[in-house]
Amino acid sequence: MKVLIVTNMAPFLWGGAEELAVHLERNLIAAGHRAETLRIPFQWEPAQRIVSQMLMVRTFELTNVDRVIALKFPAYTIRHPGKTLWLLHQYRQAYDLHEAGHTNLKDDATGEEVRRLIREADDQTFRESRKIFTNSQVTSDRLKKFNGFESEVLLPPVNDPEIFGGSSDKGYVFAGGRINGMKRQHLLIEAMARAPQGLKLIVAGPPDSPDDAARLQHCVAQLGLQDRVKLDMRFLARREYADYINNSKAVAYLPVDEDSFGYVAMEAAMASKPVITTTDSGGVADFVVHEETGWVATPDVAGIADILHQVGASPARARDMGASCLERWNGLEVNWNMTVERLMQ
Amino acid sequence: MRFALVSSFVPFINGGARNIVDWLAATLRAAGHEVEIVLFPEVDDPDLLFQQMMAIRWMDLSMADRVVCFRPQAHFIRHPHKILWFIHHIRIFYDMWETSYRGFPDDHKHRELRAALTEADTLALQEAKAIFTNSQVVSDRLQRFNGIASEVLYPPVFDAGRFHCRGHSDQVAYICRLEHHKRQHLLIEALAHTQTPVTLRLCGTSAGDRYPKELQQIVARYRLQDRVVLENRWITEEEKVDVLADCLAAAYLPVDEDSYGYPSVEASLAGKALLTTTDSGGVLELVKEGVNGLISNPTPQALAKALDRLYAQRHDTVKMGVQAKHRLNELNISWQHVIDRLTA
Repeated sequence: MKVLIVTNMAPFLWGGAEELAVHLERNLIAAGHRAETLRIPFQWEPAQRIVSQMLMVRTFELTNVDRVIALKFPAYTIRHPGKTLWLLHQYRQAYDLHEAGHTNLKDDATGEEVRRLIREADDQTFRESRKIFTNSQVTSDRLKKFNGFESEVLLPPVNDPEIFGGSSDKGYVFAGGRINGMKRQHLLIEAMARAPQGLKLIVAGPPDSPDDAARLQHCVAQLGLQDRVKLDMRFLARREYADYINNSKAVAYLPVDEDSFGYVAMEAAMASKPVITTTDSGGVADFVVHEETGWVATPDVAGIADILHQVGASPARARDMGASCLERWNGLEVNWNMTVERLMQ
Repeated sequence: MRFALVSSFVPFINGGARNIVDWLAATLRAAGHEVEIVLFPEVDDPDLLFQQMMAIRWMDLSMADRVVCFRPQAHFIRHPHKILWFIHHIRIFYDMWETSYRGFPDDHKHRELRAALTEADTLALQEAKAIFTNSQVVSDRLQRFNGIASEVLYPPVFDAGRFHCRGHSDQVAYICRLEHHKRQHLLIEALAHTQTPVTLRLCGTSAGDRYPKELQQIVARYRLQDRVVLENRWITEEEKVDVLADCLAAAYLPVDEDSYGYPSVEASLAGKALLTTTDSGGVLELVKEGVNGLISNPTPQALAKALDRLYAQRHDTVKMGVQAKHRLNELNISWQHVIDRLTA
């Protein structure tokens, strides 16, 4: 079957959704389909141009395509009779982020009108789709709450599972991924000041801004943790990143209200590492079973420091919890074969 | 600089139009630029043309410093630094209006659509900072239909250095899709009229089964099995380099092609003389009779004479092959020239 993946493009930027589309295409082809990806430019600033870009997508004519798998707003509004959605997210600034006051749609008549048009286009898209999958329970819940549509959760698999084999415990907690205030690496560093002396922490990943990097450096210096906290703040090659995970004692991931499990947690599980997260981390907290596959701490320095004491106390226990974590992950059957099969149902 | 390369496409169909975009992207990146390829779907249905035109109008590529537009209707994009590398109009409304390809009646509605399209195209073309075309034929059409001047910027092939000459066999090679308008049949028929033992190799795929079968039948009819190799498949790039390295000369005889076509540039890079016909269009911008190849009338008899001449006067054929390479320099067919012009 000829399957066209349809997603957005933020010109000259490349992120997780782009990577997902690449791997989806690769795995569709591996499953015997023909697959290509249509990446449609989308600029959400200035907000008044969102509507014309929705119209653009809606106006495009597709031929020579049997199936569409659409991922993001507004690319998913494209017209096609065989359209399946794998919803990564809606335009959140018109929904939950609007409620939270984080939006570029003003609270005036124009802003209201843009929000109404986005909701209508979304509703129409959801009605005409063959099937709606989402990338997480949070996305499904939002879809139900704001648009009233049912959906099935289909977690995006790890793209390169083979590199997360696990290996040894070199005595450090690893915090990987993008570095910014919402991911709260600073909480971990502050908690390290109260953690057992033998335990180390490695924070590695690209900082969103120079300020984000400076904040962590300052924090380490002020607490005198240079010997126990390593900051490796840059974009890491996948191999380097996997080495950090494979040799860690446990993996920490404390985002504020993450939509999904998060790749960091999934990769830790594949490497048989227990995961440290916090009660307000959204999808990640759903994944971690407290004191079984990891720890769910209260999101403050004292709470995390308390967990770090437990992590440092018994290497054997950490290893057992890592094994349970892998077991839980395998039980979820999140792999590309299953994913392609369900998307093509 | 940040370049967005914009073109329309039909999903799951590859062709020369995508090659030029991919190759330019690779070349710009190698020169240190950031590049984003933006392909959008488009169908040529007359009733849907104008709404699709609006869709392109709504595309926001303000993040790019420059946009380069290829296939229609990419040229409708709004951008302060729009460059066109115009490869063709929607031809059924232009030069192919009077042909059977049109597919709709020459009635009031379609004449009005044609006039409106020409007017809109002209306005969109006028917005561009620079207009390049892929051939003199296309530049002439822009002048004739839209009254707009343009500069010919010949599309080079990718990684030109891999082509080379190893020698000269008795074989004339025609490496191109097997399609009726490429006229492989004419070359086989010509072979039946030759006096010398010159041979042919035809390699390429076809959109359907019919034409390759027809070609086989012609080979059988004239009992040319020993002198014609017909490979109905897409040969690898390495095989192509080998075939061109060893052949006596290369043929390219399309009916009124817009541009000189990649097959003739590849053969020229391999230092081989070209055989083409008086009605092949853009190919005639490249081939000069007796200098870098032969230009024959499109009949089996005339082509047979040309084939015999390539075989019998081998010394001249080798010399024309050397000239074929020089001719590319003369026309400035190189990526360096393309980059210079697009970043000017």
